[in-house]
Amino acid sequence: MSNSFIIGQYVPGSSIVHRLDPRTKMTIIFFFVIIVFLANSVGSYGVLIVFALLSMFITRIPIHYIVKGLTPVWFLIIFTFILHLFVTREGTVLFEIYTFKVYSGGVIQGFAIAMRFFLLILVTSLLTLTTTPIEITDAIEDMLEPLKKIKFPVHELALMMSISLRFIPTLMQETEKISKAQASRGVDFKTGPIKERAKAIVPLLVPLFVSAFKRAEDLAMAMEARGYHGGEGRTKLRALKIEKRDIFVYILFAIVIALLLYTRN
Amino acid sequence: MDITFKNVNYIYQQNSPFAHKAIDDLSFHIPSGSFVAIIGHTGSGKSTLIQHLNGLVVPSEGEVRVGDFLLTKDKKPKNMKELRSRIGVVFQYPEHQLFEETVEKDIAFGPTNFHVDAEEIKRRIHEIVPLVGLSSDFLKRSPFDLSGGQMRRVAIAGVLAVRPDVLVLDEPTAGLDPRGQKEIMHMFYSMHKQQNLTTILVTHSMEDALKYADHVIILNKGTKYMEGRPEEVFIQKEALHRVQLDVPEVIQFLDQFEKKFNQPIPFMRQSIVDIAKSIRNVVKGDASK
Ligand SMILES: Nc1ncnc2c1ncn2[C@@H]1O[C@H](COP(=O)(O)OP(=O)(O)OP(=O)(O)O)[C@@H](O)[C@H]1O
Ligand SMILES: [Mg+2]
Repeated sequence: MSNSFIIGQYVPGSSIVHRLDPRTKMTIIFFFVIIVFLANSVGSYGVLIVFALLSMFITRIPIHYIVKGLTPVWFLIIFTFILHLFVTREGTVLFEIYTFKVYSGGVIQGFAIAMRFFLLILVTSLLTLTTTPIEITDAIEDMLEPLKKIKFPVHELALMMSISLRFIPTLMQETEKISKAQASRGVDFKTGPIKERAKAIVPLLVPLFVSAFKRAEDLAMAMEARGYHGGEGRTKLRALKIEKRDIFVYILFAIVIALLLYTRN
Repeated sequence: MDITFKNVNYIYQQNSPFAHKAIDDLSFHIPSGSFVAIIGHTGSGKSTLIQHLNGLVVPSEGEVRVGDFLLTKDKKPKNMKELRSRIGVVFQYPEHQLFEETVEKDIAFGPTNFHVDAEEIKRRIHEIVPLVGLSSDFLKRSPFDLSGGQMRRVAIAGVLAVRPDVLVLDEPTAGLDPRGQKEIMHMFYSMHKQQNLTTILVTHSMEDALKYADHVIILNKGTKYMEGRPEEVFIQKEALHRVQLDVPEVIQFLDQFEKKFNQPIPFMRQSIVDIAKSIRNVVKGDASK
């Protein structure tokens, strides 16, 4: 697949970020998302940027891969910045393009919002880059455990998630395979009028659905044959466990929060 | 159509941590009208190779020439559709490509896309359906109600209905019953002879390669490991074993025969009957005849 969009893509590795408990990573990201909105000074942004970039370097995933993978997001970030540049009318007028006055407030505001956006995307994609979908689901199931008391189907939800996540790559492969087969039979997915291209979707979607349903049936059968009977009394092969490194990371993150609050104005 | 690969490299997911070189500096030439078998252990790059032939993928480096069409990294032919109409590809498990309401419509899908007129398509369908071992009762049925083997035959008919000059077959008989495998291979072979096609067969069956091909290319990890006439390639037992391949049974048999009787019967693609005759001669102590 020539697709270089990396959000949701797992890159195997053995860095400390990869080995952290997925619950640790998710908790930290949850709080990171909140504190990003608390930053309001150069210092506080600095703290967050250092934290995010440091995390990125520690994963040892090639930087150029991350940068390139975020291409579609760069566009959004720059767009946000430019929008603020023209819309915000605070502070002094810096310069004028035709009739548009660019205010100093606009530059600052635009920069701040774009930076928040960038930080959010970067940190959340670090999660999916270093954590397998299965680990994420396990963590979600574990963290939602208390909801079982109010009869919320936590296990079923987690199972549905892990099955869907498991089959995304399979479906992508299947899509590629079928579109190649149909392209060989003269279907043109890439050029031609919109109407023709929309029609070209049918020979792709029908076989895709047929095989997805078939797969679902087979999977249900295989699960039943192996004695699956729901979450009741089911034990786990991969038990999640908080290690020393998790504690260490929590402490580090607490320091980041403290520094952020200190540098806020 | 002549087919030439010149120092072709192909890398999946280039410039990512997942980059994987599937074809590595591959060069070969296939003259028009030949029947070539491509053999290799699983994952050796066979399916990747054949996707270069009709421009589904273009080489990351090097060039592929198919007739007058030239495919390189920066230059795809403009008339890609014409290329695709002249190269018929039967993919691994082609039954997954069926989608129409009836078998007839599905077979007509390819030729319609390549602007063959409706009358002609009808004629071709009625000619091809018996060839792939189906009866015309099937034409009005839904392809999804058929058995796996029947679906395979419909998919093959759909490729043949385009009347390509080059037939590319990626393990076309994998998973069929033995009788069906024989019939289908035989059908491809007679079509190859009658219509003077260039045929490229990807297969795990040494027997088929020996029986039908006049040239064999052995792939290993994306590179060309061996190449030549089947009777030359298949007697090199050790070399083949090194890349997890076996020699055809006939050759194993002759090998064992030589060990037990201390009399070689050189393999020259003779028929079973001729081999039996040679054996009789050896056993009767008259190896000269
Ligand atoms: N879409 C893809 N993305 C990434 N890697 C791929 C892709 N398709 C194939 N590969 C890899 O390229 C290599 C060659 O694959 P290919 O499908 O050409 O093998 P093959 O010789 O056809 O094997 P088989 O006999 O099992 O069909 C394999 O290592 C495979 O993992
Ligand atoms: Mg293959």
